[in-house]
Amino acid sequence: PVTAGSIVVPFGHVIGNEKWRGSEIAQKLQGKVRLVFEDGLGLVDFHLSNRTCILYISEADLVAGDEFKRRLVRFRNASSLGGIVIVERTQISDQYFLAVQKLVVLELGMVLLPVANQGEASQLITQLVSFYVREQSKEQSSNPFLRKQRSQLAEPAVFRTVQQIPGVGKTKALLLLQQFGSIHRICNASVKELEPVVGQAVAQQIHSF
Amino acid sequence: KPCAPAPLCVLVDSREICSGAEVISSLKAVHGVKVQVCSLSSDYIVSSRLAVERRFLSEFLSPASRNKLAQRIQRLWSMFERICVIVEKDKAKPGETSRFLQRTHNYDATLAALVRAGVRILFSSGQGETAALLKDLALVELRKNAAIRGPTEVEEHKRDLLGFYLSIPNLSHLAALNMCRAFGSIREMANSSPQDLAAGAQLSQHAAAEIHRYLHYGFEAQLLPESPRVPGGS
Repeated sequence: PVTAGSIVVPFGHVIGNEKWRGSEIAQKLQGKVRLVFEDGLGLVDFHLSNRTCILYISEADLVAGDEFKRRLVRFRNASSLGGIVIVERTQISDQYFLAVQKLVVLELGMVLLPVANQGEASQLITQLVSFYVREQSKEQSSNPFLRKQRSQLAEPAVFRTVQQIPGVGKTKALLLLQQFGSIHRICNASVKELEPVVGQAVAQQIHSF
Repeated sequence: KPCAPAPLCVLVDSREICSGAEVISSLKAVHGVKVQVCSLSSDYIVSSRLAVERRFLSEFLSPASRNKLAQRIQRLWSMFERICVIVEKDKAKPGETSRFLQRTHNYDATLAALVRAGVRILFSSGQGETAALLKDLALVELRKNAAIRGPTEVEEHKRDLLGFYLSIPNLSHLAALNMCRAFGSIREMANSSPQDLAAGAQLSQHAAAEIHRYLHYGFEAQLLPESPRVPGGS
């Protein structure tokens, strides 16, 4: 049966599929993360957190044919977990890489990360896990690529926007904003209302912009 | 349903003319994609919501360029719902047979951080492949109904209008172009509801609401960082 459901992963741990016991990847992970093996993980090779798991595609899988594709699609249909696909990109498997990337990233919307061998995979997994640990601890904002909520005063931007109206420089922009208060009200001012502030010619220009 | 097959369109930052000439030519010649070069804050825009950055693999190996990329991506998050980074293999320099790049700790850490931030990552072996990936991305976005629609050139008399829209914070070049087309005047734009703004500029409801708030924002001159002197004022 397809097992791709969620699983509780303790902090800083990796839960590995029993079939990886004794592998190079497992040996290199040990000591860096706490690796626990479990039976019955089904399609998943490693669970990194409650929400994220890894599906590993070896050079041999790629060469053998399309079985790995069926596995990925089955995982995607059966699980709501975030799946990271690690693929062995070697001289032999390189010819398949583009097609795999297209399937995993563009069709299935999963993450794909190439490695040259199991050693590189263990380094990558270690980095991913250390990220979860850092995120859970106090360094919430330690990821420099995350969206930052910045609240900035709008005044400088509004001042610049009004200066983009033809005929309006710094002085007139300020006068307009002091008189009308917002871009919306400047846009809705009649020529009659604009004239005393910026003169006849510019009032026309603003009105027809 | 009948639909005229309009060509896929990609906006390209003008700096890419030098660094990605082959990407641009291959987009046009091999993939039949319409390419519009303009001044952007990302390397490419492939849909109303997706910006793409093209980076060399070598740039991921050291921490310095990682900070630069991080700044860029943070800025893009304020304009785009989705961001994709294409990691392109460096070109072999003349005389070099092939460049072997040692995978570094920093490379893995950067990948991990990008994954966790929800940035999509694609890998390319050269400019030709990068062009194919850009086309594939544009195709997927077309299927999701987010493709770049309509003409992307600006008529001469609308240049000032484009400049006006571009000065609105967090508005991408594409959204500003869409606004030029969707609204007959700034009055019409300013009087639009957030829903109309979202439809006209092809923006999310959230982004449109931000713009609506900006247009109605009550300006306070004293809050300007350096208060300009008001001539003749008291």
